[in-house]
Amino acid sequence: MAVIELTVNGRKQRTDAPPGLMLLDLLRDSLGLTGAKPGCGEGACGACTVLLDGRPVKSCITPAASARGKTVVTIEGLAPEGGLHPVQQAFLETEAYQCGYCTPGMILAAAALLDRTPRPADAAIRQALEGHICRCGSYPRIVEAVRLAAREARRD
Amino acid sequence: MIDESLTREYKRREFLQLLHAGAAVSLALPLHGAQTPVRLLRSGDTYELRTGKIDMGQGARTLLAQAAAEELGVPVSAIQVIMADTALVPDDGGTWASLTTPQTVPAVRQEIARQQGSTPRQPPEWRVLGQSTPNVLGRAIVTGAQVYAGDLRHENTLAGIVLRPSSLNARLTSVDAAAARKLPGVTVVHDNDFLAVAAATPHEARRAARLIRAEWTPAPDPPISELAAEWRKTAVAPVENNQTRYPPLVRKGDAAAALAAGERLLKTEYWLPFIAHAPLETRAAIAEWNEDRLTVHSGKQAPFLVRAEIAKALGIAETQVHVLSSMPGGGFGGKQHADVEIEAARLARSAGRPVRVHWSREEEFRWSYVRPAGLMEIETAARADGRITAWRHRNYNAGSPGLPPPYDFPNQSSEFWRTPAPFRQGSYRALASTANNFARESHIDERAAGFHQDPLHYRLAHITDERLRAVLLRGAGLFRWPGPGKACGLACTIEKDGRLAIFAETAPAGKGFRVTRLLMVADFGAALNPTNLKNQMMGGMIQGLGGALFEEWTPATRSLRAYRLPRFSDVPPIELELIDRREIPAAGAGEAPIVLVAPAIANAFFALTGERGRSLPLNR
Repeated sequence: MAVIELTVNGRKQRTDAPPGLMLLDLLRDSLGLTGAKPGCGEGACGACTVLLDGRPVKSCITPAASARGKTVVTIEGLAPEGGLHPVQQAFLETEAYQCGYCTPGMILAAAALLDRTPRPADAAIRQALEGHICRCGSYPRIVEAVRLAAREARRD
Repeated sequence: MIDESLTREYKRREFLQLLHAGAAVSLALPLHGAQTPVRLLRSGDTYELRTGKIDMGQGARTLLAQAAAEELGVPVSAIQVIMADTALVPDDGGTWASLTTPQTVPAVRQEIARQQGSTPRQPPEWRVLGQSTPNVLGRAIVTGAQVYAGDLRHENTLAGIVLRPSSLNARLTSVDAAAARKLPGVTVVHDNDFLAVAAATPHEARRAARLIRAEWTPAPDPPISELAAEWRKTAVAPVENNQTRYPPLVRKGDAAAALAAGERLLKTEYWLPFIAHAPLETRAAIAEWNEDRLTVHSGKQAPFLVRAEIAKALGIAETQVHVLSSMPGGGFGGKQHADVEIEAARLARSAGRPVRVHWSREEEFRWSYVRPAGLMEIETAARADGRITAWRHRNYNAGSPGLPPPYDFPNQSSEFWRTPAPFRQGSYRALASTANNFARESHIDERAAGFHQDPLHYRLAHITDERLRAVLLRGAGLFRWPGPGKACGLACTIEKDGRLAIFAETAPAGKGFRVTRLLMVADFGAALNPTNLKNQMMGGMIQGLGGALFEEWTPATRSLRAYRLPRFSDVPPIELELIDRREIPAAGAGEAPIVLVAPAIANAFFALTGERGRSLPLNR
């Protein structure tokens, strides 16, 4: 059994990982961080999205071993304790969710987009989130939320 | 398999409760779904509202808190809503059929008014209802703190895996589990066709499962292409029954005689495929035994039905079973029955420890249930001016919801013909109303085209319901019907007391077409939370877009990559318009917005191509 060291939400973690373990399972089962969700097991829905060294990855198809020595941010660590990231705040204001199961992955992917592209056009927002499924169909409000977050971030 | 008799009995009892709901003396029947639907407890400045309903994203928790806050004169934050814990809440049936708004909200308000010795507050006095109170779960959702059944982690819990055959109806004939049983900490359960393992981690459970040799009798999955012909031969005609929520036979005048004597006959048929709910959260449960008592945590829409099914499957009394339901990560009618709960309970009983089972996406597609496919035949006669004189609508297999036409036909017969179910099929958002509206709204459009009449005016000539006329006319104005130079279509209906119209615009795209604009006008009576209502309208329309354009389940469907769901790029600009009628009791709106998307698009597709899309999905 291999030991993996990585930084998750600002904290150094050291945990056992059997061969073939995916990052999603490490986060959920070993570290108890259940904000990243299993949805499809093949990287086709985006519910498991986390940030690996700042880039969104589908953690259900990302081997835990590939995160060795790297930095992971999950929805639980996107904002300082008790606070909200501008994207979280914008989702809240636009009620861009229904069941909420896809929301953590959407928010992390949107936060990464705004890091790279502070003023995305709507088409760029849709393109960045195209691999994310919202089965409840909140897509238009999600685009609106990301637009709002971009606007608020510029105002600050 | 779904125990249909149990479900029917359960829903019948709930219907009895519905009948008694208006009675001055409430009957204390010891039946499922027959209890006063809510309980209110006070603790200092806060109140606890207990209900058997669940929130699966449709906003029930917020809405019920609003209803209580309105009558109590306190902020929404003073109301804690306890949902779907069979040890705490009354059994008022499941969260289905869009009943929370028309039944549970009034029950909350009446119960509180009764306790206060008053009557529910009138709409002009409302301070909380009618406002877009933010979803009370919002902060938990955006921070990842919202807990779904698959997120639960209990101490000392084993991971369970069920071994599945390669065809849906296969029977287990022989099992050699000796090698798996030798592994430390592994439990194997083999009971008739049920074969499963539990181990300390999912990884170890999968490893043990791979060591088991199981043989199944081959039982090929029935071919879907032969079902329509089969159904015509074997279907059972409906008999009149108005003591049910969705009567299977809705008649007026004499459709058979009017068709026999009628002129300008037109007969068309339509096909609606099986589709999957595909909730993003696959089902999960933790089962734990304490002596002969069982506690199950899962995320289902109908905790008391799930409890009854667990008790029946395990041969114990319902009073021995405690079910707690977390918020499902998507339900859509697909999470009403016990399945993963029974699997976890069987494993836990053998292992002597709590067991958690969490289905894979493949299991969710193959071993849950699907929305029934439907074959619909519509035959009509008409006068020379186009007015329909006789209407006969037959639905094979899909079901009876949505059968009553919103049109004023002098002779009509709308019929649901029962057929043997080839697959495990069950509830789905609006169920057969999508099938029936697709057929009806397509046929009426074919009629309008046949008489060279505008589809809007042709419909209006057959509609007397003023509220339905109003949504059509409002929509036509906003959409600028008939959309000059554009390929547009529309559809309208009365669904669960709501009035709806959808207008769709299409354009060529590559070898096919795409939807370039959708507009919905809806009148659900009083809009109790407009922002949430619009979220439901939007969501229903987008889910309807999937069924209209892409979705088709077969027994071979095993992954999300192979099952096309609506994505960001599929969604055209969508406009929503609400007609808020404060004086009219609010109708439920969780289901209605899904039912018109397919016919509106199919009718626009006809305007674009001159071809009728009579079989869904249109972009097959």
